[in-house]
Amino acid sequence: MIAVIAEQRDGRLNRATWETIAAAQQLAGGMPIKVAVLGAATGGVAQEVASAAVVEVLVAEHAALEPYTPDAYASAARTLIESAAPTYVLLPHTYQTRDFAPLLAARLRKPLITDVTGITGSGAGATFVRPMFQGKLAAQVKPLGGSPAIVTTQIGAFRADAAQKGGSASITKIDIQIDPTTVRQKPEAPFREAKQAVDLGQAERIVAVGRGIKSQENIPLAEKLAKAIDAEVAASRPICDNGWLPMERQIGSSGQTVAPKLYVALGISGAIQHLVGMKGSRTIVAINKDAEAPIFEVADYGIVGDLFEIAPAIIAELEKS
Amino acid sequence: MKIAVCIKQVPTREWQPRLNDAKTWIREQDVSYEMNEPDAYALEESLRLREKHGGEVVVCSAGPARVQTVIREALARGADRAIHVEHDSLGGTDAFVIAEALGTAMKDEHFDLVLTGLQSDDQGHGQTGVILAERLGMPSSTIIMEVQIDGNALRVKRELEGGWFQWIAMPLPALLTIQSGINQLRYATLKGIMAAKKKEIRKAALPDGLQPTQQIVSLAVPTRSKQTHMIDGSPAEAAKELVRRLREEARVL
Amino acid sequence: MDPTTSTSRETLEVDVLIVGGGPAGLSAALRLAQLQQGAGRSGPNGPSLQVAVLEKAREAGAHMLSGAVLDLSTLRDLIPDYKDKGAPLVAEVDDEDVLFLTETSKISLPIIPPPLKNHGNYIISLNQFVRWLTSQVEAAGVDFFSGFAGEDVLMDGERVIGVRTPDRGIDKHGNPKPTFEPGVDIHAKVTIFCDGVRGNLTKELMRRLPLGDSRHPQQFAIGLKELWEIPPDRLKAGSVVHTLGYPLKHEEFGGGFIYAMPHGQLSIGFVAGLDYKDPLFDPHMAFNRFKQHPFVSSLLAGGQMIRYGAKALPEGGWNTIPRVYMDGALIAGDAGAFLNSMRLKGIHLAMRTGMLAAETAFDAVRAGDTSAAGLKAYKERIDRSAVRDELYPVRNAHQAFEYGLFPGLAFAGVAVVTHGWSPVDLQGHPGHQRMKQLAWYYGSRQTNVDRPSNATTIDRRLTFDKLTNVHFSGTSHDEDQPSHLLVHTEVCSSICGPEYGHPCTRFCPANVYEIAHEADGTPRLQINAANCVHCKTCDIMDPYQVITWVPPEDGGGPQYNGM
Repeated sequence: MIAVIAEQRDGRLNRATWETIAAAQQLAGGMPIKVAVLGAATGGVAQEVASAAVVEVLVAEHAALEPYTPDAYASAARTLIESAAPTYVLLPHTYQTRDFAPLLAARLRKPLITDVTGITGSGAGATFVRPMFQGKLAAQVKPLGGSPAIVTTQIGAFRADAAQKGGSASITKIDIQIDPTTVRQKPEAPFREAKQAVDLGQAERIVAVGRGIKSQENIPLAEKLAKAIDAEVAASRPICDNGWLPMERQIGSSGQTVAPKLYVALGISGAIQHLVGMKGSRTIVAINKDAEAPIFEVADYGIVGDLFEIAPAIIAELEKS
Repeated sequence: MKIAVCIKQVPTREWQPRLNDAKTWIREQDVSYEMNEPDAYALEESLRLREKHGGEVVVCSAGPARVQTVIREALARGADRAIHVEHDSLGGTDAFVIAEALGTAMKDEHFDLVLTGLQSDDQGHGQTGVILAERLGMPSSTIIMEVQIDGNALRVKRELEGGWFQWIAMPLPALLTIQSGINQLRYATLKGIMAAKKKEIRKAALPDGLQPTQQIVSLAVPTRSKQTHMIDGSPAEAAKELVRRLREEARVL
Repeated sequence: MDPTTSTSRETLEVDVLIVGGGPAGLSAALRLAQLQQGAGRSGPNGPSLQVAVLEKAREAGAHMLSGAVLDLSTLRDLIPDYKDKGAPLVAEVDDEDVLFLTETSKISLPIIPPPLKNHGNYIISLNQFVRWLTSQVEAAGVDFFSGFAGEDVLMDGERVIGVRTPDRGIDKHGNPKPTFEPGVDIHAKVTIFCDGVRGNLTKELMRRLPLGDSRHPQQFAIGLKELWEIPPDRLKAGSVVHTLGYPLKHEEFGGGFIYAMPHGQLSIGFVAGLDYKDPLFDPHMAFNRFKQHPFVSSLLAGGQMIRYGAKALPEGGWNTIPRVYMDGALIAGDAGAFLNSMRLKGIHLAMRTGMLAAETAFDAVRAGDTSAAGLKAYKERIDRSAVRDELYPVRNAHQAFEYGLFPGLAFAGVAVVTHGWSPVDLQGHPGHQRMKQLAWYYGSRQTNVDRPSNATTIDRRLTFDKLTNVHFSGTSHDEDQPSHLLVHTEVCSSICGPEYGHPCTRFCPANVYEIAHEADGTPRLQINAANCVHCKTCDIMDPYQVITWVPPEDGGGPQYNGM
């Protein structure tokens, strides 16, 4: 049996859970899948995940699970796991999971394989693909030491819409005991901070400009395109060296390494220093005048042409819908 | 305050990965090593906390003999002494073994605060700190951007997704995993380097019977088995086709 | 250097300061440690010499690059049990060849010219060798400071009293960052300068003291090198190939080298004299063309380039060696031009002069006289040593090449036979003065200064553009620091374009220099300092001599693993 631990906050399901369910379905190889929901007042989350092609949804509610703390969550998850005895426990690799999954693994003394981007095989002998050396290498990893093996799936590596829906799984309330005195963390309410620095690493979509943009006056064109697809603006090195965009927006070996869902390279030739910073992106679109530009070697979609004509055309096309 | 900082020696970020013949690990000849970047920030944070609250900073590391280099670097930057769990097998092992090895060596020191980097630049499991906390019987909190200490009270700022943050209070002793960029790293001075040679590095034995919980079956350079779809036509036509494909095929819009 | 930033500047006192952690500096350090042990002067029973080595790279060996085939003579003297101590001698030279190349064919010389005979020598990686030598030095208890360069020579009148390290923590606009730390003044009784070819400190010394008087002007070449992995059985380990001819013109000095190591590792490189006449010549392109020669490209087919680098070489020989002793200081290694350009070897000479400098310094410090008179014994030691035996006979060889390839070869051949007898010593000219202006070289022919005269196709598999190559040098520098290349750019925006067509954009092997244009068409020099591989070519070859290389901050530069 595979147990997927859903993530929710204030009764709202984190979408990444669907990606993990999809991963579980790929891994299952005939094993039944159950989804566990932990929290204090989880509301309709159980109903939502019950629409997945899984056999059961387990709801473990306890006042000590709100707000989230690693001690309480690790304790609740442990109780669930020890009674359900799954072969695998899957979670999405969110900040919250990164906080409590190692604690869970330490207490169970069981393997934890994090940030998984792929699954090879299925069932008990499956191996897991995860990045190493900052994404420069991909490792096939095998858990050792018996079940359950805990696996966290990289956000975006599995497609949420690939999760099979099935109908209605039964929803079962699980009784868990948590001694509040064992919860050592006292969290305050989360708050948003005005972004002091750009974190391109978190951006889902990026529009990057290179020398093809020709002058600082043309940067607004890239910004307009970025706005149209809800993307962050980034740049190759020469643009930042000229001061046309700040250094924090630089992508490449002397800037940031990113792997967003969508990377649009506008007027970037694709020098290797830039490629190493973005070639892990899920979908790469390259627009360049030069058909021989190395950027086309890593692009999923390429348009050879004048970006000053093509970018506005894309913006216009997007505005249509 | 008795503060421990756990540091790891990892291949430098500029390094191009070369695989050994069995493709189960990297080729270690000609690899240059450096201190894991988040650990360097953890070290800097520990030095600042010592400057504010007094006490000592003890650098702890588990690895083969070569990790002495980063231990000396940490001592040169200002750490007071070091603990080194030395064994050849520790170069490529998993977080469980490292955490157990460190935990055994660190237990009797009764540290007030333990800082580690949030994950390593080589294997990047992101687990060693939290597992170590459990072995030392301390509460933990991860991806920390700010540390405040007032007597025996600890208050830390944790990073969440999408620009959100959260303050957490915990009792000491505790373990924190530190996020890069939390502070600005100081340089090691010449005098610091010279003084480092005289600082104590206590060697600790690797406990018997530690088993890793995972195994690298194979390593490979990720290849993009992708086709590049070139889109032709006038700008308007190409734009239309591109948007369609991004919506329907790639599903990124 | 702004004197107002010298608040709270640390000082350090040592007996002997060695600047440069290459073969010369490390040999000097190790020799000093040996002498101390031998004299029973280390430990609590006697005053021991405080010795420190400064190395600008963050890690020992990171900036070390050479072909290289090592003559073991000095190693045997310095570390007789080098084998037991694990000296990384990669492959004994087994098979040698000297080829004369034309564009499409090759002629194997029937006999190996004696200077290029390598029997009994070993192919090494200088980077690995220096890493090993450093471990020996550290094991001997010498303070080795990596990531610290020498920025200025400290002098008291005519006496060298030490070296100042660069300030750290200055942003690209010259303002101090929160991490700012002023450089350290290291005072020493004797400073041994081993700062390499066109070393910035030795250059300063030669400017402040008349060390070059009555010596011939220094001459240089640039060496470009790649490390390749080819199918393992293609070329036997220990094979050494040197080439002449294509792709160089007869007026140009240089040639290629190919050294085969085990497991299909190949060192391949090209040396071009930094004294070419054609202002549109690009040494990096010559290296590309060399690889395109059918013999070479068939060797590399199916292989992969894994590392790249470049460094200048001091080619002038014996007559260009400056005065190497002065009040409070000595010069050893490439910094003193101790390289045999006929044999393409300098490492063993760097090691030997390092040892001799150490012996001299040791005696002088103990005798309490570290003045020029007290240190003159260094020159006497050199004159009695294998260094002179080797370099004096070929003292005119490089200068003869100014007359062309064949006169040069002929002269070199005669010199070998006559052991260097010559009625007159040929005066060479500084290479940068030999570069001709566009109008002189090309006359009325149309020239496209945006393209090197020896341009060739770049396929990024066999041949590479500089930017791609630089990526494989592992070069990195902290971005937020002032440029370490100081250029009087009025020249760039006025006369250089019409006179020479901005040759810096061609002779730099790392794409550091680019010419952008202002709105009104005025050329503007753009310096991509972060790409710099510290080869010193620009400092050497710029025809106006307006480029000064100074050490960048905090250990940045290439990462020459395996080179």
